[in-house]
Amino acid sequence: MRAMAVIDGTLGSAAAQAGALDAFLRDGLTGAAVDETVVLYRADDGRERLIELSPTRDVRLVKMAASCPDTAAGVIAEMARAGDVSLLLLAGGAGPELATRIACRCGGAVLTDVLHAQAEAGRLVCRRPVYSNHMTGRFELRARPWCVSIDAGWACAGGAGEAGPDTGKPGEGSTGKPGEGSTGKPGEGSTVETGDRSAGGALSAGGHRVLSEADETGRTVDRRFRDVELGPPPETGDLAGSRFVVVAGYGAGSREGVARIAAAATRAGADLAVSRPVVMNAWAPMDRLIGVSGTRTAPDLCIVVGASGAAALHWGIEGAGLIVAVNTDERAPIVANADVAVIDDGVAVIEELAGMIAELRR
Amino acid sequence: MSLSREAIVEGLQHIVGPEHVVTDEQVLVQSSVDNFRKLQNIFDVHTMPVPAAVVMVQSTEMAAELLRWADEQGVNVIPRTGATATEGGLESAVPDSVILDGSPMDRIIDVDACNMQATVQCGVPLQALEDRARELGLTTGHSPQSKPVAHLGGLVATRSIGQFSTLYGGIEDMVVGLEAVFPNGQICRIKNVPRRAAGPDIRHVVIGNEGALCFITEVTVKLFPYFPESNRFLGWTLKSMTTGFEALREVMVSGFKPSVARLYDPGDAGLHFSHFAADDDCVLLFMAEGPPGISRATADGIQAIVDTYPECTQVDSAYIETWFNDLCWGPDKIIAEDERIRQTRNVNRTTEISADWSSIGEIYAAARDRIVAEIPDITMMGGHSSHSYINGTNMYFNYFFNVVGVGPEEETTKYYLPIISIICEETLKRGGSIVHHHGMGKARAPWVKDEYGSSYYMLETLKQAFDPSGIMNKGTIFPI
Amino acid sequence: MRILVGFKVTPDFESLREADWIAGEGNLADGAGVETRYVPRLLNCFDESALELALRLRDAAAGRSFVEPQLSAVSIGGSQVEPFLTTLLALGYGRAARVDVGADVDFAPAAVASILAACAHDSDGGDVLLLGCRSGPGDGGTVPFRVAETLGWPCLSQVVEIEALSGDDLRVTCLADDCLLRVTVRPPCVLAVGNAVVSRLRVPTLRDRLARRDVLVDVLRAADLGIDIDLLLEREPAGLIGLEAVRRARAGVVVGGETPHEKARHLLDDHLRAVIERL
Ligand SMILES: Cc1cc2nc3c(=O)[nH]c(=O)nc-3n(C[C@H](O)[C@H](O)[C@H](O)COP(=O)(O)OP(=O)(O)OC[C@H]3O[C@@H](n4cnc5c(N)ncnc54)[C@H](O)[C@@H]3O)c2cc1C
Repeated sequence: MRAMAVIDGTLGSAAAQAGALDAFLRDGLTGAAVDETVVLYRADDGRERLIELSPTRDVRLVKMAASCPDTAAGVIAEMARAGDVSLLLLAGGAGPELATRIACRCGGAVLTDVLHAQAEAGRLVCRRPVYSNHMTGRFELRARPWCVSIDAGWACAGGAGEAGPDTGKPGEGSTGKPGEGSTGKPGEGSTVETGDRSAGGALSAGGHRVLSEADETGRTVDRRFRDVELGPPPETGDLAGSRFVVVAGYGAGSREGVARIAAAATRAGADLAVSRPVVMNAWAPMDRLIGVSGTRTAPDLCIVVGASGAAALHWGIEGAGLIVAVNTDERAPIVANADVAVIDDGVAVIEELAGMIAELRR
Repeated sequence: MSLSREAIVEGLQHIVGPEHVVTDEQVLVQSSVDNFRKLQNIFDVHTMPVPAAVVMVQSTEMAAELLRWADEQGVNVIPRTGATATEGGLESAVPDSVILDGSPMDRIIDVDACNMQATVQCGVPLQALEDRARELGLTTGHSPQSKPVAHLGGLVATRSIGQFSTLYGGIEDMVVGLEAVFPNGQICRIKNVPRRAAGPDIRHVVIGNEGALCFITEVTVKLFPYFPESNRFLGWTLKSMTTGFEALREVMVSGFKPSVARLYDPGDAGLHFSHFAADDDCVLLFMAEGPPGISRATADGIQAIVDTYPECTQVDSAYIETWFNDLCWGPDKIIAEDERIRQTRNVNRTTEISADWSSIGEIYAAARDRIVAEIPDITMMGGHSSHSYINGTNMYFNYFFNVVGVGPEEETTKYYLPIISIICEETLKRGGSIVHHHGMGKARAPWVKDEYGSSYYMLETLKQAFDPSGIMNKGTIFPI
Repeated sequence: MRILVGFKVTPDFESLREADWIAGEGNLADGAGVETRYVPRLLNCFDESALELALRLRDAAAGRSFVEPQLSAVSIGGSQVEPFLTTLLALGYGRAARVDVGADVDFAPAAVASILAACAHDSDGGDVLLLGCRSGPGDGGTVPFRVAETLGWPCLSQVVEIEALSGDDLRVTCLADDCLLRVTVRPPCVLAVGNAVVSRLRVPTLRDRLARRDVLVDVLRAADLGIDIDLLLEREPAGLIGLEAVRRARAGVVVGGETPHEKARHLLDDHLRAVIERL
C-alpha cells in the first residue's frame, strides 16, 4: 500500500504543516507506513528548506506557479492516480480543501480534523471530533485514496510554530497570489525522476532524498479570481492568542499583590490576565480582563492565582490545555476545575515558581 | 453644602484606605448603569452622571463607618453586590454618587444541616451557596435565572424569586434572619428563629428595600433536602391562554405544590419550544419535586387535572426535562446576548407583574394588544406565567424590538418606558401589582403612589425614619 | 445576481448535559448514540453569518443603485426547519425552501453536497452559493468544496466579508491559513463563510411577518431534484461507525509540600516541565 504525506509549501504555514505531519506519523497513524512526502513549492529559494522539513526521508518536489488549492489538487490527484496511492495525509488550515478536492477527483474518501488513523486489513478507521467537540466519532473510509486531513492539534504536538520557510511573509512579492501565474495547459509540466527508490539517490544535508522533481508552473491558474491582495492576519490581542497565561484574582489582596503576580508572570514568560474584581478595583487595566466581558483564551498553560473560579472567569479559560490553580481555599470551585492545584498563598507560590520556570527556560 | 468630587474621594480614602476606593474612569462609567440601560454599556454610549467612586466594602464595620460619613456629608450611596439588577436600581441618578460594593464580603459563614439554615455574607454568589448545600444533599430552593451571577445581598434587597417558587416560595419565605446597616451607622441583627409573634415582622423592612433604606451585610436562609432523582416533568401544548390560566388555577387551588408551574403564550413559547410546539401553540408545563412519594402524587394529581382539558395535548416529558436542565443564565449566555444585541440592535426586555386569577388573563391580553398596536418595531411580544399562588399568578412579559432611527441612549425613551407604561396602566387598572420580582428600581418608581394607594403613607414613613437625609439610592422606589 | 444560501438547523448541543453524551456503536442513524430530539434548534453559526451577509449585500445594492440581488435560502430538513424559513421570508428572502429527504444526512456530507449542488442548478437556484464553512454534528467542513467540485465553480473558504462591486463582481475577504486574502470573483462561485464579524441574523418585526404571511415555504423531495437519496447514502465514501464520549472534568490533583517553595518545586517537576519545554 502506498501512502504519502503532502506539504503545501506555497503557503506560509509549511513548517507548521510539516511539524504536525511529523507528530502524526509518529503518534497518530497505526498500521500503515508513510515513506514519501510530496512537497509543493513556488520559489527556488524556499526549495532547500522545504526539503529539510519533510517528515519522511523521501521527497517528491513539485514546483507551482502560485498558491492555488484547485491547481494543487489537480497535480496531486494525478500523482495519486498514477502511483496507485491509497493514503494521503495533509495538514494545516488548507488541508481540508486540498483533501476534499483530491478525494472528489479520484473518487476517494475524505476525512478532516483526524485525531488518529488506523489501517487494518485493507480498511482505514479514523477518529475525529464531532458534535462541536462533545464527542469523538469513529469513521470508516470506504473508498480509496483515503484523503486524511489531520487535526490542528497535531501542530502543537509537533512543536513547529514558526513562520513558513517559503518566500518570506505573505504579501511580499508577487508569488503566491492565486491568478498571477502564467497560463498553460494542464499536464504540461515535466517530471524528472531523480532518485531511484531501490538504488537510493543522493541524500541531502539533512538526510533527505529527492525522488522526483516536477515543474507544474505552466498549469492554468484560476482566472476567475482577480485583483488578489494578501495582508497579514488581523491582530488578535496578545491574551487571546497567548500560549501561557497567569491569571491574577482578587485573592492577590491589593494592587501591589497584582503587581507582584504580574512581575512573576513576566519572569516566567507568561501574559498576565486578571479577574473581574481585580479590574473593578483598578488593580489592573481593563484590557487584561478575562472571562465576563473580557477576553477568552485557550493557552497551553494557564495558572490561576487567587481567583475563586466563578463561572464568569472559568468561561474565559476553559479551553486551556493545562489549568493550575493556586488558592488558599481548597474548596474554591477553581480547584475542582483545574488539572492541578496548589493550596497556599498565591503570590508566594507564583514568585517561587516563576524563578524556577525562568531557570528552566534559560 | 455638598462635597466636591475630590473631597468625596478623599473622605472615602480616609475612612477605608485608598486600596479599597476605585476611581478608575472606565469602572466608574460602567457603574453608572445596570441592565435597565444595558445598551449604554453594550454600545459604550453613556448619559448618566458618573459616580465619584466605587468602594469595595470589606466588613460590616466598614459599611457602618461609610454610611455614617455619607449621611453626615449628604453623599448619595448606591449599594451593590452581583450587579445583575434590571430596573435601574444601580443607576446613579445624581452626580457624584458612591457605590458601596459588597462583593468582597463573600464568606459562607455557616452551613447548619441540623437547623437547616445557612448564614452568608452579602457578596456570596447564590451559586456558591447552592453548590455548598448540594455537597450535603441540601438545596436553598432558590433558583432565579441569575443564580450563577447574583449575590445574596442583592437577592434579598430586590425581593427576588426563583424558578421553584411555587414550592419553596420567594426569598421572603426563605430569609430567617439577617444583619443590616442603616445610614446613621446603626448595625442591626435580626436573630434567626423559626417564627415569632413579637410584633411586626421587621425582616420585611429590609427584604426588598433595594438599597433605599439600608445596606445588607449578612443573611441567613433556610435549607431544604434535595431530591433530584425524584423530579418529574409534565408538559402540554394548547391553543388558548384562557384555558391555560384555567388549568393552572385548578392545579393551584386543588392544593398541589409543583415546584415549577408555567404557562407560555405562543410568542414566548416560540423562543423556547419551537422544536415541539407549533407557532400558535401555548405551552403549559410543570415540575414536581420532593420526597419520591410526594413528587409522584403531585405529578399524578396534575396529570389528572389537565387530562380533563381536552384542548391540552401532552408532549414527551423529555422536552420539559431538557428545557429545565438549561434554565440558568451564566456569563456565557449573557455575553452571547450582548453580542447579538450589538450586531442586530434587537433588544430583549422583560416586565413582570402579578394579579389575581380573575384579572390576569385580561391584563395579559390588554397589554399585549396595546403594545403591538402602539409601539413600533416590535419583533416579538409575548410572555409567560411562572410563579403561581393560591389566589393568583404573575405575568412575565417578554418582548423584543429593533432599535431603529435612534441611538442606543434613546432606547428607553422610545421603546422601553412606553411599553412599561402600558403594562403598568393595564395592571393597575385591574388591581394587580406592577412589580412581581425585579424590584421597583428607578424604572417603575414613578408609579409607586399608584401601586401603594393609601398604604404609601407607611412606605414613605419608613424612608423618612430610616433615611431622613435621603442618601440611600436616590430615585430608587421613591422617585426624585 | 441570484444568491442562494444553504443553511442548516442544528440541535443546541450546549444545552445537553454531560450525561447526555452517550457513546454508541453500530448504525447510529437508527438511534444509537446521542439523543438530540428534545433539544431546541439553532441556526448553525456560520450559516447564520451567511444568511445575514446575503441580506447586507441586498441592502448595499439598494443604497448604491445596483441591481438588487435575488435572495433565496434552502435547508435540508424536516418541519423543524420551517420557523427559520418563515423568518427568512419575513426578512425579504424571495424564496425559502426545505428539502425533505426523509433520511438523516448528519454524517453524509457527500449526499448533502449533491443535494445543494442540485439546488444551485435548479432554475430558481443561484449564481452565488453561500454556505457556512462547517456545521454540526458532523463538523467536517467538506461540503462547500464538494459542491464546488461538482459544479465546477470557483470556491473561496473562510470568507469573512463580501462586498458587491459593479457588474456583479464580488470583492471577497477570506481569513486564509496564514494571511488575510482579498480577491475579486465573478459569479458563479461558492463562498464558504467562516468566522465573520457579522455573525447574527437580524430579526423581522411583527409587521414584516404579517406582510409576508401569505408566502409559503417550498417543500421539495429528493426526487424533485432528481436525487436518489438511498443510493447516495449507500455510496457515502466515509461512514460513522462509532461514538466515544469526551471526558471534560479536570483532575484537581492537589500538589503536596510544606512551604510555597516546596510546592512550587513539586508542581514544576511533576506537572509543568513538559508543557513549559514545549512553549
Ligand atoms: C439574566 C438575568 C436573569 C434574572 N433572573 C431573575 C429571576 O429569575 N428572579 C429574580 O428575582 N430576579 C432575576 N433577575 C434580576 C436580578 O438578578 C435580581 O434582582 C437579583 O436579586 C439581583 O442581585 P444582585 O446581587 O445582582 O444585586 P445588584 O444588582 O447588585 O443590586 C440589586 C438591587 O439591590 C440593591 N442592593 C444590592 N446589594 C445590596 C445590599 N448589600 N444591601 C442593600 N441593597 C443592596 C441595589 O442597590 C439594587 O437596587 C435576573 C437578572 C438577569 C440579568
